[in-house]
Amino acid sequence: MKQLKITLQVFLFITLLISCDSDDDSVSQNEMVVAFENASTSFSAEDDQKTINLVFSSPATENGSLVLDWNSTNSVYGEDFTTIPEATNNSFTLEFNAGDEGASFEINKLQNPIEGEEKSVEFDILEVNHSNSIAGGNTTMEVDFTGAAAASGNISPDVGGPNQPNQVYVDLSGQNSTANSREAWDLAFYQGEEFRVKLNGSLFMATAELDETDITAVTSADVASLQSQVAVGTFNPTNMAYVDAPSGEISETAIAEISDIAEDNKVYLLNLGDAVGTATPQPGSVEVSGDPRGWKKIRILKDGNNYILQHADLDDTEFQEISISNSGSKSFEYVSLSNNSTVEVTQNMSWDLQFTTFTNEIEGAGSYGFSDFIVNNRLENVSAYSVETAEITFDDFSAEDILDNEFSTDQRAIGSTWRVGGGPNSSPTLKENLFFVLKDSDENIYKIRFTALTDENGVRGFPEFEYKKLN
Amino acid sequence: MFIGVLSLSAQDKDSLDFRFDKVNGLEEVVVTGQINPQSVNKSVFEVKVINRETIDRLAANNLADILNQQLNINIIPNASTGKSGVQLFGLDAQYFKILVDNIPLISDEGFGNNADLTQINLDDIERIEIVEGSMGVQYGANAVSGIINIITKKDAQSEWEITPYIQEESVGDEYNFSDEGRHIQSVKIAHNIDNNWFAQISATRNDFKGRFGEKQGQNHQQNDSLRGYEWLPKLQSNYKAMIRFNGEHTSAFYKLEWFDETVNRFSESVFTNYNPSTQTTNPTTNDEIFKSRRLFHHFNLNTKIFKKSNLNVSASFQEQKRDVEEFTYRIKTGKKENIRKNEFESRQAVFSRGNLSNFLNYEKFDLQVGYELNLIDGFSSPMSNPLQSEPVDRTLNNYDVFATSKYQFSDQFSIRPGVRALFSNQFDPLMAVSLSSKYLFNNGIEARAVVGSSPRTPSYDELFTYFVNINHDVRGNENLKPEQGFSSFLHFKKTFWSEDYKLKIKPKLSFWYLDVSDRIELTIVNPSPLAYQFSNIDKFQSIGTSLTTNLEYNNFSGNIGLSLTGISKVLDSQENSNDDFLYGLQANSSLSYRIPKLDITSSIFFKYNGPQYQFVQQQDEAGETVLSRGKQDGFALMDASFRKRLIDNKLDLTFGIRNVLDIDRVNTTAVEGGAHNGPPSSLLLAYGRSYFIKLLYQFKF
Repeated sequence: MKQLKITLQVFLFITLLISCDSDDDSVSQNEMVVAFENASTSFSAEDDQKTINLVFSSPATENGSLVLDWNSTNSVYGEDFTTIPEATNNSFTLEFNAGDEGASFEINKLQNPIEGEEKSVEFDILEVNHSNSIAGGNTTMEVDFTGAAAASGNISPDVGGPNQPNQVYVDLSGQNSTANSREAWDLAFYQGEEFRVKLNGSLFMATAELDETDITAVTSADVASLQSQVAVGTFNPTNMAYVDAPSGEISETAIAEISDIAEDNKVYLLNLGDAVGTATPQPGSVEVSGDPRGWKKIRILKDGNNYILQHADLDDTEFQEISISNSGSKSFEYVSLSNNSTVEVTQNMSWDLQFTTFTNEIEGAGSYGFSDFIVNNRLENVSAYSVETAEITFDDFSAEDILDNEFSTDQRAIGSTWRVGGGPNSSPTLKENLFFVLKDSDENIYKIRFTALTDENGVRGFPEFEYKKLN
Repeated sequence: MFIGVLSLSAQDKDSLDFRFDKVNGLEEVVVTGQINPQSVNKSVFEVKVINRETIDRLAANNLADILNQQLNINIIPNASTGKSGVQLFGLDAQYFKILVDNIPLISDEGFGNNADLTQINLDDIERIEIVEGSMGVQYGANAVSGIINIITKKDAQSEWEITPYIQEESVGDEYNFSDEGRHIQSVKIAHNIDNNWFAQISATRNDFKGRFGEKQGQNHQQNDSLRGYEWLPKLQSNYKAMIRFNGEHTSAFYKLEWFDETVNRFSESVFTNYNPSTQTTNPTTNDEIFKSRRLFHHFNLNTKIFKKSNLNVSASFQEQKRDVEEFTYRIKTGKKENIRKNEFESRQAVFSRGNLSNFLNYEKFDLQVGYELNLIDGFSSPMSNPLQSEPVDRTLNNYDVFATSKYQFSDQFSIRPGVRALFSNQFDPLMAVSLSSKYLFNNGIEARAVVGSSPRTPSYDELFTYFVNINHDVRGNENLKPEQGFSSFLHFKKTFWSEDYKLKIKPKLSFWYLDVSDRIELTIVNPSPLAYQFSNIDKFQSIGTSLTTNLEYNNFSGNIGLSLTGISKVLDSQENSNDDFLYGLQANSSLSYRIPKLDITSSIFFKYNGPQYQFVQQQDEAGETVLSRGKQDGFALMDASFRKRLIDNKLDLTFGIRNVLDIDRVNTTAVEGGAHNGPPSSLLLAYGRSYFIKLLYQFKF
């Protein structure tokens, strides 16, 4: 009896020893879904060719192909448009290889439609030749030839990863975005009625007016005591005087309005901010500020319809000068001090949103550098507001739900509110219970939902969003 | 040592063994801080002893389970790292030293201090000795608030003893065989080779499956903060081997220990990777697996030289390494991608302590001289500190010499002064002093006065933090000097017996004062532009009193304790501060009753941690920063167990309930918010009421 008990105990002990390690969490692998990247696109009068992308929800596991066909409205293949690859019998085939994450074809517009005529073609995914796959999501794609505003789109602005080296300008109606190095320019000269000059806040620049009017008379010794304060992120609320109003109000720039009277235009101490960071941070973190870019002294004068910019290193007794015309077009001319010339930044596009690092204000703590910031084009009257999904979901939100007096022209209407802040021990994440409504300068109203803050590995600086036209 | 005073009915040898600890309770022998092993009563220090019986009755599987029930000690668990630290007199684990057989135990972030209590397994432990107060003379730096000395078992009753056990625990209300609960398996083999040699090996596997709570586990796909676990799953393995020689004038042992631990940290945030084109998601997360490994060698020699003198030398090599594997986890496929393996942090130590005693031929005077050598190599990666940009590799070498003496003026009065000089390659030489005295009054009251000091060496965070960018300037300070801890204690004790000697009451009244000067805090060194740096600036004070009483009556035994601690912080590092003393009350009690006929020992352990207060900076309605008194609510922890021995006392069955009062979190306003987030409103302390059963069998032949 006693032996039996012991044996039982030992047996129980061994069984438990063996049975305690069986993790079996099998997750079913989903099928590959094929879709058009965008559900619609539009040719402007100037465009004559577009690339149409198709995307896969997961990389192809084998070689395969897609067969596409179309239905057209007042458009004839060969007369109004052609495709590459060429179509036969109203359809064409796109081949892809194992590992591909999408496919694409070209569409050429052969002639512009007559004013008032509807002209479009709707492509359709006819066949997906790949195991365990279907067409889903955007299974059709409407191409409009009349230049109408895009009805929807998905955009991945090329912010450039955790150093966020780019400023990206996005035009929703034109369904395009363009990226520029944020180090390309230092000062932006307003092309409106007022003569105003903006700092490049994405580099966290700051500036302070000096008493001097002679740029050659200022030395580094004169400004030494001021330098520690003329900076972003000093946690001194008075430092807001040294940066442009974060709201984007053009009459509240750090540099006073350029006066016709030369003596009223003082020399400014200019903190060039920080270069784009170069270190690779941990996933989820950013490294947007690198080495300090140093200091300049500048003085800006007016000569008829031109700005005259004088600039020099602090202890230089000579200065460089550049003349910038004011065309009155309400946009900006951008100047690079190191090149002593103007530079092209926005490619003359009529942009709605700018993805950029940003000099913002924290109430009570003064200026503060932000990453992942989104600015709406205040000077072109682009306005926006946010909606919580608890009130209405993105999918349900329609033109009737637009609240006209909610639109804010403050350029921070989206700002950093699309992400959750994070802290020393947690990284910012996408705020998924919020979407935005935006009105562009042509009164097109869009709903915008951000779908990514990071890439799939959690690396910051890879935003994505989708939008749909409401009116 | 075997002084049987309790009226026990005659039992066979096994049950005498069973009662050994209880009997021994009257004349517990302690080694902590002693020149020679002493009985508790003779010790000049006030040593608290937790014996094997208590450990068994709690079925404690790590040090945190035991210390939870101790007066003045708070266990601070961190659900997001899985670690548990100790807090004593309001000072955290950096100030508290953990020793095993008199030598410090290495951890991820320290040597002796900063230990993760959940990494210290109690299977081969004979008893735990706790001394409160600064013990710099005896144990060097970082023994500021107190020390724990874990004494391992080094003998067996039979020629062979094979002891397997299993322990199954629920984690709160979660339990099953596959992915919930705690599952422990262990086996120990002890062998008396001959009269001189003894050997023992043991292996323990402790599989904590974590606690889900509200969380949804590893495969949750939404970014709603519900992914992962409330308490992280953790798998620990512990292997120990020991060989001991016991001769007439010489004893020696060698211990080898291997510990490894795997902690899975599942990220709460999910990148859903919604693709609006295909309307599909492909959720990914950034997960981490931490692997800690500890290697521990300890050789100890205790021998008589020059006929009478006692030489005790310990040499030890220890290493603990924590590696991290970071990867992107694709939730739908379960695939790991973008895998990066790195060393997270590590410590490596060469240690030796030697002392010589009894070399003077005076009856009343005893002198011990000794040396202590600590060669500590540390590494910390930037991943281990979000405010550190470069990896840190650093060597801290300490060369200490110490002398303590004991002078016995009379049977009633003895004193024990001591001094230690600490030399190191990083800091200026330091001094630690101690003076203890014991006086036995004629009416049986024992009085002890103990003063001591110990420095705390700055942590890597304090030395090497470097977080400077456009918005921040937070720096460590390599010129920091060690903090200075000082403590003084007064204890009064007396034992009362009832006339029939059935009832024994042993009250103890203590008073203490503890301070830490040159305390290191993050300080604003420049208000505009705002810059922070760690500096030796603040002062910490703690005063307190406690009354504890042991009771024994027939089959009952128990104790009750009450303590009141006041803490004052002079924060010169902050603009607003208030150095008023803030008081906290603690009470504990344990009761044990042996049901004679059933031979079941039932026990209840109860600990009440009263509300704790702390001054916190807050913004008032006008946006001004004001100082307010934050409060962490009080809470009580209670454990209960029933233990029965069967089959000639070979089968040992323990059933119990941990955290009977079902505590998991307490409300608090005593924590300041960070720059990017508000203060937490509650603290996660435990995982609710849990049940355990332990089955142990002892093969003896």
